[in-house]
Amino acid sequence: MAMDAMAVIKQTFFQECEEQLAELEMGLLAIENGDHDQEIVNAVFRAVHSIKGGAGAFSLDDLVHFAHIFENTLDLMRSNRLQPTPEVVKTMLRAADVLADLVRAARDDGDFDDARTEALAQELAALGNGGVAVSAAQEKEEEVDLSQFRPRPIAFNFDEEPAAPAEPEKKTFSIRFKPKPDLYAKANEAALLLREIERLGVATITCDTSELPLLSELDPEGAYLAWTVELKTDADEATIREVFEFVEWDCDLEIKGDAASEAEELDVLALIRKVREAVEPEAASVSPEESVPAKAREPEDRGPVKSADILKIDQSKIDQSKADHAASGPQQTTSRVDRDRLDRLSELVGELVINQAMLAPRVTEAGLARGSDVTVGLDELEQLTRGIQDSVMAIRAQPVKSVFQRMPRLVREVAAMTGKSVRLFTEGENTEVDKTVIERLADPLTHMIRNAIDHGLEKPEKRLAAGKPEEGLVRLSAAHRSGRIVIEVADDGAGIDRTRVRASAVNKGLISADAQLSDDEIDNLIFLPGFSTAEKVSDISGRGVGMDVVKRSIQALGGRISITSKPGQGSVFTLSLPLTLAVLDGMVVTVAGQTLVVPLTAIVETLQPKGADVHGFGGGARVIAIRNMFTPLIDVGRELGYRNEAADPLTGVALLVESEGSMRSALLVDAIQGQRQVVIKSLEANYRHVHGIAAATILGDGRVALILDVDAVVANSRADMTAYLEPNLALAG
Amino acid sequence: MTSELDTPHATLELAEVLDLKAAAPLASSLLAHRGRDVALDASRVRRLGGQCLQVLLSAKNTWNADEMSFEFINPSEDFADALLGFGFSLDKLMDQELSR
Repeated sequence: MAMDAMAVIKQTFFQECEEQLAELEMGLLAIENGDHDQEIVNAVFRAVHSIKGGAGAFSLDDLVHFAHIFENTLDLMRSNRLQPTPEVVKTMLRAADVLADLVRAARDDGDFDDARTEALAQELAALGNGGVAVSAAQEKEEEVDLSQFRPRPIAFNFDEEPAAPAEPEKKTFSIRFKPKPDLYAKANEAALLLREIERLGVATITCDTSELPLLSELDPEGAYLAWTVELKTDADEATIREVFEFVEWDCDLEIKGDAASEAEELDVLALIRKVREAVEPEAASVSPEESVPAKAREPEDRGPVKSADILKIDQSKIDQSKADHAASGPQQTTSRVDRDRLDRLSELVGELVINQAMLAPRVTEAGLARGSDVTVGLDELEQLTRGIQDSVMAIRAQPVKSVFQRMPRLVREVAAMTGKSVRLFTEGENTEVDKTVIERLADPLTHMIRNAIDHGLEKPEKRLAAGKPEEGLVRLSAAHRSGRIVIEVADDGAGIDRTRVRASAVNKGLISADAQLSDDEIDNLIFLPGFSTAEKVSDISGRGVGMDVVKRSIQALGGRISITSKPGQGSVFTLSLPLTLAVLDGMVVTVAGQTLVVPLTAIVETLQPKGADVHGFGGGARVIAIRNMFTPLIDVGRELGYRNEAADPLTGVALLVESEGSMRSALLVDAIQGQRQVVIKSLEANYRHVHGIAAATILGDGRVALILDVDAVVANSRADMTAYLEPNLALAG
Repeated sequence: MTSELDTPHATLELAEVLDLKAAAPLASSLLAHRGRDVALDASRVRRLGGQCLQVLLSAKNTWNADEMSFEFINPSEDFADALLGFGFSLDKLMDQELSR
């Protein structure tokens, strides 16, 4: 049991380590970029300091040893005895990577590179050689460190405070706790929670086994037991609830206090804040002039907190925290919510949108006038629904920072492997997008950045010869643009070598030797499956993952990828992604009696074809002249197999769409019904993948409509056309 | 877990770690011995989680209902401690039929 309790505390420690490591890296990068603010140096120092403190508490000796050396060097920098020259900061960044490895090795019981760690430890020590040896004062400070890391589960144990006997009389709480199966499934343990409660005072635990079935009916992974704990404690209800903080959604919890404790509940918010302050590692042991953390955890008007003051109740602060709460201070603004619940909420909102959309035509059918109370009410409902939808999206949204943060290290490693000197600029880290999108962005971005360095940037000699600075630039940026998030990976390298790309594509039989391709089309060849320009598969980019995989994963997110490249100046890969995977603005069209939805983002314009503009050119293929440009006219009904004969273009409508690589095509449909926001329902999850169809939705009248996969339809039709025009090539491919 | 499947009386040795992963195998191996007196050797147990506790308590009830004997032998300190933490004592578990 003792092992388990330790494991939980350790887990908290490692989570905090990740935060500290991110802080450390961000700080060092800021210093590298010339920001020599003392506060940043302090933040960096504190990050390493805290990791060391916690590691010491868990006897993670390798980690403590390395962090100690790192910290000493940082301390020299902090006291201006070591100048943050580029070389010094580079070494420190590598040290930060090693520290991260050590943390992860300790967490996963994994291995770490001994030699690399030792080498860096020596490099760090060498940096510090010009400085002063570790002073007695610092050693003393370390003693404080070991108590500094106080993970929440034990930190709330007020029983251990020496002042406890003098505290007002103990209160009695009756806590009823019934785990749900999810609690166990998420690797939480009732035993530990009960243990934590026991630590808060004198506890009498009784187990309710009344729901327990016989063994033959028992689901071993179910949850049948409930516990009641009579707890006599100095702690307040908030403290007790904190024990269940991580499982509050996964259990039924009822806490009843006696009369004595009721009065204090009014101040629960203030107390929660107080408790938070008490366990805030930064605030706990640093000296006043450096105690404002780099990230604003507290309102700025709050002064530094000395550890001695923390546990005393300061009435003015409580009053202030009430005021802060009213003004929704930054500390009170987050809460942990189970992902499943969020998903469920999004789904429900989706249903609400559908239902609301169903209501509108009913009202029209009922013959109610435009200005009637019902229609006005319905308009308001629509606005509210939109509002709710936006709010739910905002809840699910997260800054792309979490992915961007992983990139500096990647850049350093790839730079080291390729012998190139690279600087990474990131922009727009705080741009928000649905969490699911973020999670699925990490792999494609990693690959694109690897590519940018490995294939995009030239070797230093070549750069110098081309009159460029030796250090290559990779820029990673994110921004919101017309309802989508646009992420760019740009490099200032040599640009795409079109001759080589073309030759390679011909060699691999991807295009015919005499194919007429525009520069744009050549650039886009790199997205073809089976394409790779590297003659030998390199460790970095050639991991069997080509740009085609990147493209597919971006497309799977409803996104598009495009490339612009200028010889000698570099390339820019642009990803355009939807902000959410749940809803889509679509154009509802009719094709051969079927209702389809075409994503609005793909449509450039709609037009009524004129007889003179449409030309057939064999194999049933047709083109349409739009402003003197011939554009393939794709008969959607035929493409999807709804009908065999070609539709009459003169009675239909053409949707000019832009698919990948800015290629334009015209989709011929029978009629346009209107524009509407639809809720995406996965076809794969409910049926199976259908070529040319991206997903499905439920329309206002309750019918299912398929959402067209424009890129797939266009690609398929182009393939058909190519097969007709170049039969030999089709056989070869 | 060791057992003698052919004898009317089985002694089963409980695993060291009875966490959530152990619950399903524990339930099925106990079920395999239903209808026989069972003694559970808890000498190696270091950890007992809520779900394995459920299995053990349910098995105890089941064996009681079958009027067969179901007992714990050589309980390790950790095992006894864990039971206490859940609000049970070993004696209590042995003596009385659990409320259903």
